[in-house]
Amino acid sequence: MHDPRGGHLARRVNGPGPVEYADGDEASAFAQMLGGLIEANVTGRPEKRKDFDGLKARVGIFVTDIGEGVTLEFGGGHLVVRNGLQPGRDVTIRADADTVMQLSNVRIGFAGMPNYFDATGRQVAGRMLKGQLKIEGLVGNLTTLNQVTRVFSVAE
Amino acid sequence: MAVAAFSPEWAQAFKDEINKSPVYRDAGKGWKWTVGLVVEAEPDKNFPDSRGVVMDLFEGEARDIRVGTAEDAQACDIVISGTYSRWKQVATKELDATRGMLQGKLKLKGDLPTVVRYTKASQEMTECTTRVAVIWPDE
Repeated sequence: MHDPRGGHLARRVNGPGPVEYADGDEASAFAQMLGGLIEANVTGRPEKRKDFDGLKARVGIFVTDIGEGVTLEFGGGHLVVRNGLQPGRDVTIRADADTVMQLSNVRIGFAGMPNYFDATGRQVAGRMLKGQLKIEGLVGNLTTLNQVTRVFSVAE
Repeated sequence: MAVAAFSPEWAQAFKDEINKSPVYRDAGKGWKWTVGLVVEAEPDKNFPDSRGVVMDLFEGEARDIRVGTAEDAQACDIVISGTYSRWKQVATKELDATRGMLQGKLKLKGDLPTVVRYTKASQEMTECTTRVAVIWPDE
């Protein structure tokens, strides 16, 4: 798991930073990793901060091969990360660990749209077609999903 | 020839495997950070003292891999820690390193976006460890 007390990502588990963990010290390793990733992205890259500040949605991510999920509550410049899939989600992503890692490597292309035409993008799209990546709530929430992808992506 | 787990001979064999891998050479392009693996002691597994594996990786090449103390490894840019048993599971393909980190079985310290960006390289490094024949102290 990502150690919240170390490295370039040092931050409080619960506090005034952009990311808060509803389960405090009991936050799962996966929750801390996702929260740490998003916090590093939005604090280190201004273009992602803009998306983060405008994003209001409840997003679930469930990793099928470890049987763990988290709920990300984006509240316009603030994120609460909760262990497990909580009710009232706008979008839920279900995929194995490898695919979740690939999702975070999707490049952002023209007009801020995720690029599904390069090698990584094609792999992600292929997994979706094979049912290895499932996105619930996509209809009506495409803009939200694109915003989440931009906030989540580490690709340069 | 099999080598003792986490020994200098193991480090040399691991380095050779990485440098033989065209997949790593490609996936590791752009990487310029040191990586430390902390192997925590488990006396009941005949692994009485923690060790550190210090990896100088640069642009798809393993320039140096050596075994030192846990403190040596903790001084690296990216640090991954786990018990001897966890690392043995990784090296014998019982545990996928990515899943291990997501489950908290391996602890990661360092710049997370950088690590995630090089997931493919880290997966290939794990593959390289599995190609080294190892004598495990608890077997």
